[in-house]
Amino acid sequence: MAGSALRRLMAEYKQLTMDPPEGIAAGPISEDNFFEWEALIAGPEGTCFEGGVFPARLIFPPDYPLSPPKMKFTCDMFHPNIFADGRVCISILHAPGDDPMGYELSAERWSPVQSVEKILLSVVSMLAEPNDESGANVDAAIMWRERREEFNSIAQRLVRKTLGLTT
Amino acid sequence: MESIDHNDSNRDEMIMQQQREIEKEISESTPLVSELMPLTCLGAEYNGDDVFTAKIQDLSKKYKFIRRTRPDGNCFFRAFAYSYLEYLITNNSAYQEFQKLAESSKNKLVELGFPSFTLEDFHETFMEVIKRVCPDNPAGPDEVKNELHKIFNEQGYSDYVVVYLRLITSGKLQEDADFYQHFIEGDYSIEEFRHQEVEPMYKESDHIHIIALCTALGVGVKVEYLDRGEGGTVKAHDFPEGSESKVYLIYRPGHYDILYPN
Repeated sequence: MAGSALRRLMAEYKQLTMDPPEGIAAGPISEDNFFEWEALIAGPEGTCFEGGVFPARLIFPPDYPLSPPKMKFTCDMFHPNIFADGRVCISILHAPGDDPMGYELSAERWSPVQSVEKILLSVVSMLAEPNDESGANVDAAIMWRERREEFNSIAQRLVRKTLGLTT
Repeated sequence: MESIDHNDSNRDEMIMQQQREIEKEISESTPLVSELMPLTCLGAEYNGDDVFTAKIQDLSKKYKFIRRTRPDGNCFFRAFAYSYLEYLITNNSAYQEFQKLAESSKNKLVELGFPSFTLEDFHETFMEVIKRVCPDNPAGPDEVKNELHKIFNEQGYSDYVVVYLRLITSGKLQEDADFYQHFIEGDYSIEEFRHQEVEPMYKESDHIHIIALCTALGVGVKVEYLDRGEGGTVKAHDFPEGSESKVYLIYRPGHYDILYPN
């Protein structure tokens, strides 16, 4: 059989369902369309995002896995590597050369042997350790660097919001 | 200030997106691999250019035909795969050996640390392509060559073959990292080079890619360099040095096509 995005996405979905990494759940929004997934990411323990469950959407291109998917949080987020509209900006979501943020050479890049699982694990690391060098959200990057307590309290508010607690 | 930064990076991304679309449009107007064409057709591209005209003349003494590949950054890998598989169609014992090597290559890559789960799909497709161009086919070599041409113009097969050869190349660079480190310019480590310049699709190939792939597969490649260099004749390079060529390619700055010797 010719290589196909659909077959690969089905295989990845099966793998993620059978053997999900801790704190991550992901799959197609509807089984009619494997090119649009929802992911739920638990805020990593011991960080200001701990306790939150953050929903995101992954959109796969027709030539996946030759090209990477795009990822966007669908909840409110405040983080140096997430744009105000929720788009996630980390190196693994970009092929080399495709470089809006001028990532370092050593940064992990997209290649066809990466996977949804690797992306989501990178996003978990990103939540735990923001990269304030490549600021998708400059306000957040500055606050993370200079006013950590304020950053933490915003993060905690977002955590409560994802849990449906508004107080 | 912040909002300006934000807009800038959005705009950069839009410009990059647009550039990619333009490149894609140009590239998709060329088939992945073309029909056989007379070498002299190159002349039309360099009309009135004395240096290139003389060199094409020189080259046409050795090669009658050329087969073009899509200029999408994958041209070396695609040209190499097409040309070598075409050679194997009429060389059964080399075919059998290559099939064995290809079969065992997956385990080797897994041992080198590639993820078995995502490797699988590319290896399976690669093996299927090899199987479909088996010289034993009773329909005869011409029919098998047609099959090869069909397969290589089907994106789902053609691109997966390219991916798999990129992985073999990357694996070889890792296996013999001490040796290949000398070829890498700048601050790249072998590890970074593999992830940045070898494994991702659409990244162009340099000498180091060619040497690593040819060595990994034990296939001799001759590259004829058609450029503006002096002398009126086209210079050729054999990879690996001193090997017997099975694959013939022409390089023009930035692009590889397949050549057919007389």
